[in-house]
Amino acid sequence: MTRVGFLGAAAAVAVLIGTHGLPAAQESEWRQARPDRALELPRDHASHPEYRIEWWYYTGNLAADGGRRFGYQVTFFRVGVDAQPANPSRWAVRDLHAAHLAVTDVAAGRHLSAERLNRAGVGWAGAATDTLEVWNEGWRVALEGATHRLRARDDSGGFGVDLHLTPVKPAAAHGVGGFSRKGAQPGNASHYYSLTRLETRGQVVLDGAAVDVVGSSWMDHEFGTSFLEPAQQGWDWFSLQLDDGTELMAYVIRRRDGALDPHSAGTFVDAAGRTTRLRAGDFRLAPGRTWASPASGAVYPVEWRVEAPAVDLALDVRAVLDAQELRTGESTGVTYWEGAVVAAGTRGAQPVQGRGYLEMTGYAGPPMSEVLR
Amino acid sequence: MNLFRWFILRPLRADLARTGVTMAGIAVGIAVVIAIRLANTSSVLGFETALNAMSGRTSLEITGAGGGVAEERLAELGWLREYGQASPVVEGDVLLAPPGAADAGAELVRLLGVDILRDRPFRDYPLVDAAAPGEITTRRFLALLTDPQAVILTRELADRRRLEVGSAVDLVSGDRRASLIVKGLLGREGPAEVLDGNFVLMDIAAAQLALDRLGRVDRVDVRLADGLDAAAARQAIAERLPPGLAVQRPERRGAQVEKMLAAFHFNLTALSYIALLVGMFLVYNTVSVGVITRRAEIGMLRTVGAPRRVVLALFLGEAAGLALVGCAAGAPLGWLLAQAAVRMTASTVSTFWVAAAAHVPPLTAGDVAAAFAAGVPLALVAAVVPAREAARITPVGALRDEGELLLRRRLPKRYPLGAAALLAAGAWCATRPAVDGLPVFGLLAVLAVVFAAALCVPPALYGLQRLRGPRRWLRVEGELACTNLGGAIRRLSISVAALMVSLAMMVAIAVMVGSFRETVAYWVGQSLQADLFVAAGRGSPAGARQTVSADVEAALVAHEGVLAVDAFRSVDLSYRDALIVVGAGRFDVLLEHGNLLFKAPADGRRALAAARGRPAVVVSESFALRFGAAVGDVVTLRTARGEQPFRVNGVYYDYSTDRGLVVMDEATFAAHYGERRPSGLAAYLAPGADPGRVRRDVLAALGPERPVFINTNAALRQNVLRVFDSTFAITRALEAIAICVSLFGVAATLLALALERRRPLAMLRLLGAERRRLRRMVVIEALLLGVVSLGIGVAAGVLISLILIYVINVQSFGWTIQFHLPLAFLLRAALLVLAGAALAGLYPARLAGRFHLAERGADA
Repeated sequence: MTRVGFLGAAAAVAVLIGTHGLPAAQESEWRQARPDRALELPRDHASHPEYRIEWWYYTGNLAADGGRRFGYQVTFFRVGVDAQPANPSRWAVRDLHAAHLAVTDVAAGRHLSAERLNRAGVGWAGAATDTLEVWNEGWRVALEGATHRLRARDDSGGFGVDLHLTPVKPAAAHGVGGFSRKGAQPGNASHYYSLTRLETRGQVVLDGAAVDVVGSSWMDHEFGTSFLEPAQQGWDWFSLQLDDGTELMAYVIRRRDGALDPHSAGTFVDAAGRTTRLRAGDFRLAPGRTWASPASGAVYPVEWRVEAPAVDLALDVRAVLDAQELRTGESTGVTYWEGAVVAAGTRGAQPVQGRGYLEMTGYAGPPMSEVLR
Repeated sequence: MNLFRWFILRPLRADLARTGVTMAGIAVGIAVVIAIRLANTSSVLGFETALNAMSGRTSLEITGAGGGVAEERLAELGWLREYGQASPVVEGDVLLAPPGAADAGAELVRLLGVDILRDRPFRDYPLVDAAAPGEITTRRFLALLTDPQAVILTRELADRRRLEVGSAVDLVSGDRRASLIVKGLLGREGPAEVLDGNFVLMDIAAAQLALDRLGRVDRVDVRLADGLDAAAARQAIAERLPPGLAVQRPERRGAQVEKMLAAFHFNLTALSYIALLVGMFLVYNTVSVGVITRRAEIGMLRTVGAPRRVVLALFLGEAAGLALVGCAAGAPLGWLLAQAAVRMTASTVSTFWVAAAAHVPPLTAGDVAAAFAAGVPLALVAAVVPAREAARITPVGALRDEGELLLRRRLPKRYPLGAAALLAAGAWCATRPAVDGLPVFGLLAVLAVVFAAALCVPPALYGLQRLRGPRRWLRVEGELACTNLGGAIRRLSISVAALMVSLAMMVAIAVMVGSFRETVAYWVGQSLQADLFVAAGRGSPAGARQTVSADVEAALVAHEGVLAVDAFRSVDLSYRDALIVVGAGRFDVLLEHGNLLFKAPADGRRALAAARGRPAVVVSESFALRFGAAVGDVVTLRTARGEQPFRVNGVYYDYSTDRGLVVMDEATFAAHYGERRPSGLAAYLAPGADPGRVRRDVLAALGPERPVFINTNAALRQNVLRVFDSTFAITRALEAIAICVSLFGVAATLLALALERRRPLAMLRLLGAERRRLRRMVVIEALLLGVVSLGIGVAAGVLISLILIYVINVQSFGWTIQFHLPLAFLLRAALLVLAGAALAGLYPARLAGRFHLAERGADA
């Protein structure tokens, strides 16, 4: 699951729907995720406006000459509000487009973030339906051949990224052929795949100055119409790239009663790109040391033990920086932790190391199931 | 101080009537000046305050040629992010009405439509509704605003109209009516705190629909990122904007409105000084009367050793005292008058936005201080001459009873010579051009005429002595009256001059307004040839930019009785720092059915025909005069495609706006300013078709709840003249005040005259004159004064009206007005003034009837 930032936009929608009490009939304006829908790339890189919620999610670990390390996150969300607005105005809100940008400057101990929330309007935000092209004001990702061009810069903060991302492995479909079940209700599911290893070069901008960087990125794309259920409180999600050429995606959904939801899941991708589906019982995510956010008061585990016996993997995962919390109070009111991590452990008998991203939701504010209703 | 109490205060108290009149005169004079000043500044200040509240933290705004930015252009402006945040805005004036078809109780409100996702950094919207208290987030606003029926009112407005969250309201814009639900209430902060709470907030999409402005926003507000230099950023943005778009600071709109109103305010201010002038005359009058009636006492004072400067100080002190009391009363009175003036100004300025914003601020210590600062020195100046005269009185001279009451056999030549010189100077001034758009020399010419007329008063009074007529008709009383008046020329001159000046101004304004009205009536008769006129909303001010819907036009065109339909479109455009109107009509229809009155060239129809299909325009006379444009010239206008040249094919007469009109053919307009809905339609009917029936048919076809306003030709003509009359209401009110003040002056002078002549009057009684006859004599005196004032006043007034029409009006507004003497009005006014003068003589007459020699003796 994942991607939470989308929560932000989703939250806005939730408020809309909650306020107006959209009649049930209107729910059917949106298509439900179905197990028989096959993923097909590159077609499915494009936007799927018939589904209510969709996001494109880029994270990565980058390094400059001399070893200065950075983490980044750029997320584009589309959340449907009214599939067929009655008002012919171009400003009538069919979808909301949100975007989050965060850059972690490890050496300086800084985590910078910015957000955008727009209606499509005159095209200041949007997502193409025929190819991968998603934008929110100046922030944009688009395909150039096989390369993903990703640009996002916060002018007032003087930080951002300008990157070329080239996949070096095929896309990995999660769940069953990309159908990822999130709850007890059959419709509470999404279509979900990842590009688990994108060779990355370009620039990170900090304090208005560009720094040349290279590194490795991860891209997620997920779309669906309904997700969490009332008993679900939040989730912890990992994407890890290991130095033996394998990757792991794993998340647990935490229930309000403290139990782990049976729909927690993961995917292991071997060096050749073959995927192994991990069910809730196939792996364990154990929280360790915690960090309390002075801003929100939320307490996040920033060190984890990740074990997946089914693929013979055992890792200690640690945040590169404790303070990687995003608070999107102004636009969406969702607070979550999303940050770069490093991993070290073993795969079988071999020692492995890796880098990745960790996302933790539902630690501050209302349960995500309410936000995402 | 004791001396002052004894010598000045005691007589003032003893003669309360005269003292009161003088003080009232000063108060009214000061009040009028303050009222006009407050009204003028409050209309501009109010607009600027409202503008600031509405602009919020906007640093720059981007507008298209003629207002509005087409959405296609907007899409190209993504790069604005490099400079800060951008928020598109739709803004307009609409009627807030109860749900249903009735318009009863509807009121104008300012509608602001924003994309709240972008607008939060720009403006504060403090939601106060109890349904969801707590933190105001974009999310909550989003929930309110993405509902196409949602509208947010200010709590002030909701309380006033007894609305609450969940209430249904209608917003009427032009001929459209949108049914909405109140979704939230705003506290007094940000835009909600201005315009008396007549402010509603909507989502930009819903606002576009309600105002019929799909595909276009009114402007894009830009909030520059922190640390950016505003001037440099403006320059950089201006260079990157595509042609047709411009960037300016929001304050500039305030400056434009100020400029738009400048001529209007200047003229009002000039008028208000006349009231002050009358007040000065009154002070002069009171002090001189005091000096004359107390000659003996002054002489006594001097005898006991009081130096001249003490006498001078005593009388200046009297003037200062009168002025102090007058000013103290005048300041609050002025504030009250300002309220009325602002209301009347509101009907003159062309947009609700400006008018509603005009609020008279509470009277401040500064205003009161200004009243004293103006009133007291002016009163002292007015008192200097009589006070110096008092100081010159010698102990011996006082006893000789010299001077005033002796008949003057010869009139000094300096009066007619001075008058002639002033008239010559006035004539020269009248030929000077405007200074910075303001008719400064024109007003100097008026001033010259006023003073020349004042100098004519003494010779006229002198002439009374020699007049045979009244002596014959009015017998002894007339004879005495003439002689008395002729004998008190110096003192009377001032009062008569004051009345004369007031009358002259009244006559001048009346002649100017009357001529203007005749001219407009003629123009309306000639230019309004169509049989039916469709307006975009009733009572919608010119600036509201309301439009006629497509289906309304279709219904009109579809009627079999309709031969042709002309459509008028217009946009406001910045032109050389001023705001002009660029309009469009269907020249084909106009050529075949209509009639524009052309000033140049002689063959206007050919000029109009030649303007079709090419970048050519016809301009209104006021445009031609203000900007010096003549037939054959090229004017460069901002258009959606950047600056474009247009040839001036003709200059036509227009009295609808003084801002300057440039009119082009519909197709030319559409090519340069994009497709816009018309703001009005004019339908020409087939011969024999009944306009009333066509109107009813069209209204019936559109359904009863559509707020469509169709005027027949006759109704529209009436309407135009009604608007005209209300526009000039304030001018008339001012003049009436000036006349009242000066009639007081005449009464005060006659009173003084009567008091001063106690001894001769009592002697007349002793010689057997009946009371009745004495009274008659004084009333005749008053009437004679009225006649002199009236005669000179009317002559001067007509002269001034010529200056107003041919100099000041042309320089301020650029209109051709055909001179026309409103004889009936003048006759009525003359009778009224004479009646007033007779009335003013009544009290002194009664007093005169009561004098006895014994009383005189006792008094001494």
